[in-house]
Amino acid sequence: MPRNKPKKKRFTASDLIWKAATGVAVVSGLFSLTVSILLVANYVQVTAINPLDTPQLLQLRQQLAAAPEADAKLIEQIRTMDLLARRAFFTSQSHLKLGGSLLLGGVIVLLTALRTARRFKPRLPEPQGPPPSEHYWISRAFTKEVLTFVGLLWAAAALVMAYLTPLDVPSAAATAPVADAGNAAADAGTTAAYPSWETMQQNWPSFRGPGGYGVAHFSTAPTEWDVATGKNVKWQVEVPLPGANSPVVWDKRVFLSGATEEKREVYCFDTETGKLVWSRVLDKFSGTPEKPPKVGDETGYAASTLVAHGDRVMAIFANGDLACYDAEGNLKWGKNLGVPDNHYGHSSSLLACQNLLFIQYDQRKNGKLIALDIADGKEAWTVNREKISWASPVCVQTPFGPELVLNSEQHVDAYDPLKGTALWQLKCLDGEVAPSPAYGGGMFFVANDNATATAIRFAPDDKTPKPEIAWQWDQSLPDVSSPVGTDKHFYMTTSRAEIICLDSASGEVAWVQEVDEGFYASPILAGDRIYAVDRKGAVHIFKTGQPFTPIATPSVGGEEVLATPAVMDGRIYFRAGKNLLCIGA
Amino acid sequence: MKLKLLAAVFLLLGLWTVQAATEFRFPMPEFESGYKHPAMSIPPASKTSPWVDLGLLAGALALSAWSVLRLRSRRYVFLIALVSLAYFGFYRKGCVCAVGSMQNILSAFFDPGYAVPLIVSAFFLIPLLFALYFGRVFCAAVCPLGAIQEMFAIFPVQLSSAVEAVLGLFAYAYLGLSVLAVYMGAGFLICRYDPFVGFFRQGASFNMFLAGGVLLLAGVFIARPYCRFLCPYGVLLRWASRFSKWHATITPAECIQCRLCETSCPYGAIVVPTPEDRPVDQRTGARRMGRLFLAAPFIIVIAAGAGYLSHEPLARLHPTVWLAERVAGEEQGRYEEKTIDGDAFRAGKRAATELYAEAHALKERFKYASACFGAFMGLVLCGKLIRLSIVRSNKDYVVDRGACLSCARCFAYCPVEKSHAAK
Repeated sequence: MPRNKPKKKRFTASDLIWKAATGVAVVSGLFSLTVSILLVANYVQVTAINPLDTPQLLQLRQQLAAAPEADAKLIEQIRTMDLLARRAFFTSQSHLKLGGSLLLGGVIVLLTALRTARRFKPRLPEPQGPPPSEHYWISRAFTKEVLTFVGLLWAAAALVMAYLTPLDVPSAAATAPVADAGNAAADAGTTAAYPSWETMQQNWPSFRGPGGYGVAHFSTAPTEWDVATGKNVKWQVEVPLPGANSPVVWDKRVFLSGATEEKREVYCFDTETGKLVWSRVLDKFSGTPEKPPKVGDETGYAASTLVAHGDRVMAIFANGDLACYDAEGNLKWGKNLGVPDNHYGHSSSLLACQNLLFIQYDQRKNGKLIALDIADGKEAWTVNREKISWASPVCVQTPFGPELVLNSEQHVDAYDPLKGTALWQLKCLDGEVAPSPAYGGGMFFVANDNATATAIRFAPDDKTPKPEIAWQWDQSLPDVSSPVGTDKHFYMTTSRAEIICLDSASGEVAWVQEVDEGFYASPILAGDRIYAVDRKGAVHIFKTGQPFTPIATPSVGGEEVLATPAVMDGRIYFRAGKNLLCIGA
Repeated sequence: MKLKLLAAVFLLLGLWTVQAATEFRFPMPEFESGYKHPAMSIPPASKTSPWVDLGLLAGALALSAWSVLRLRSRRYVFLIALVSLAYFGFYRKGCVCAVGSMQNILSAFFDPGYAVPLIVSAFFLIPLLFALYFGRVFCAAVCPLGAIQEMFAIFPVQLSSAVEAVLGLFAYAYLGLSVLAVYMGAGFLICRYDPFVGFFRQGASFNMFLAGGVLLLAGVFIARPYCRFLCPYGVLLRWASRFSKWHATITPAECIQCRLCETSCPYGAIVVPTPEDRPVDQRTGARRMGRLFLAAPFIIVIAAGAGYLSHEPLARLHPTVWLAERVAGEEQGRYEEKTIDGDAFRAGKRAATELYAEAHALKERFKYASACFGAFMGLVLCGKLIRLSIVRSNKDYVVDRGACLSCARCFAYCPVEKSHAAK
């Protein structure tokens, strides 16, 4: 009995079937090819265009952002366009799916046709070449040699790979701040007694003074000087590298920084003579990029003001490098915080309170507010930030306790400076926010060009701060310069060359004074006077209150001024162009 | 030929576009009118009972074994492969599959707390049991990964034994890496880099789809490249099949040494008769073999050293290490674009330093695991060299039980087959 049925003819040829199958294969191949080309074209189109970022839609969004009031018609137009864009996307998706199904069908037909064609024009079984016995041993030996060679090659490749592609994860030591060769532990002990608020008020530790809200605690700043004749100019020196940061003063030292694309430096000047006491070039830290990120011309690579705090001074630069020196210029620690994703360049200034250093690291994505222990640079706490900004933090002693207040693209946020816990948030800003908050009369005041100025008040009886909008004002507003507040008024200096005074109780305009040049530097309150430096270096000194009462308008030499002055007892320190000036006796 | 290649490239690109496009995501509209997003629902875990899958697997294996060993029918084998592709591939989306189940078993082996479902264990063991009795009948017609490649193997060519041996090493390397990944908790590499599952599920990453497309394209001429040169489960089946009780034979009766079957096997699984004249006498051969055995420990140690030194690149297999390096790179500005992985990490509360510390701890563990991986590869190399040095006398054309995929191609080439069937 046969074990199997006889097989059908396996190697029989049929020219007719072969021709038919070949024809089908050609047609299905062409069909599949056409569908493929269309799908590729569709895919390229879909990937190249983001329908939600079309110029028309972006333009409409910008119009909406710039509109003073919500425009219902505009919103509806945006919604319609958005819907159309989404529909177009999903239509494209369904086309892709349909195309994919057609292609799958085409490929199945093609494969079947090719198999059929192959089946009916078979290659008949026949021995190929000489008998295998002739090269049997050579082939085995060759296989062994090749295997040995490949084994060696793999080992060599593994070694090369290990050498060329080492793992690039910062070690614990590298991510910890760079400690000085000295005794870091001992230093930590010595700096545990951080400067008190009273001591800070005797100095100018940060951008816009103690707490960073523009109030000097001296009322003896000079009002008359002449840079050309040297009258009342104590000294004037040149700063080696450019920078938009403002001078900070602690004890007998003035600190500044300067940077170019290649170099970052921190300077310490003597307050009495203007002599450069020390200057330090920042070395690279773990993570310092080879090239700094692109920055705006006006921002530069050293826009952030340093902070001086007791025997420490800290500086941050556009590439994310943060360094801490002692009063003698010894590096205590330093690190790179990651390259800021910030299209104009990082410009937020540093602030210190108690034992903590605060860094407002707002970026397009993954913004953070970082608090580091000044003693060793270790992270005390970090909170995530939602929106980008170019503003600087302020730290204010409010009736509810100390509050660290920050502006961002949309919000004003307050945090507990010691713990980092969020205290309150208010959505009242818009646009690219560079001005920092002001504080006066128990209210915070924020403003930004193309948005509204907002006074934020708190019910005094509440145990926790609950912010509410006291009033808003939406006329001409500053885009760089930060406002300053007194008990009765808020003052703003704008890029449109205006000095504006608003009544803090009602929000009414007290007065508006037009001057010749616009302002980037922030106004400073010193006693009953306000010092506001315009971009050409004219210092507008006027009395607080109504009406506008000018005192004097001396100049700091005609060079462009971006930096905010440091106001001390009987002295003012200006950074004007390449120069650092000390005015006063 | 060029036109064929061009057409194939376009076909693959076309299929790729379908898959890649499914990955697009746009931000959801920002509703401010009290709209509530619908609650997410989880689709049912399985369309059919896993026991049905298991029954079908066993049934398909039995049918495949019957078709190969009893019916000796290439046609039936091909039909079973078609059905398996349709069911286990496109309908069941390639999961559970015996190839991937190996990792579940390994997980349970390394972590006693890991529970392996009975079905998964069965999917792992049953094809191996069949291989022990009937050869690689799972590869022949039941594995969907093999079946999809089989469909494309239209103009298969034979590779030289040296090329075959060298490419075969990759399967062992993949097996070693898969074990390493499971041991280190780096996930299931075989599933992560399954090149064909994207076709089954109509959705995959660009790289996965590209890899699958390249393999299918290559498979038109080099039949089943994944099965032969990459499949880690295939290595186990190869080992089991060597000891199979019954195995497919080229001829159903006595080999007449007509040489007609020489060109029939695209997998290099036909062993030709051993020539009588040996190049060296038995004593010289034994001496060489002795030297090889003496060298083997050194080869293994060197390979282990190479593995040890490669622990840093290998550590990237672990998602945590990869993420740490990515996050560090993004923080340091080494990359222009930020990834969703980095964004997700930064959005969490975990400090980067903690992530880096974990990555370094893992890197330390990778040192010894990588050394073991290197030693395994050294052992494989020695094993292959020793196997090539042992001469087994063969008088007839026979199948290499390890390499044979039981595809039944060679049956029709044997004239004895025809005469035997006609009796």
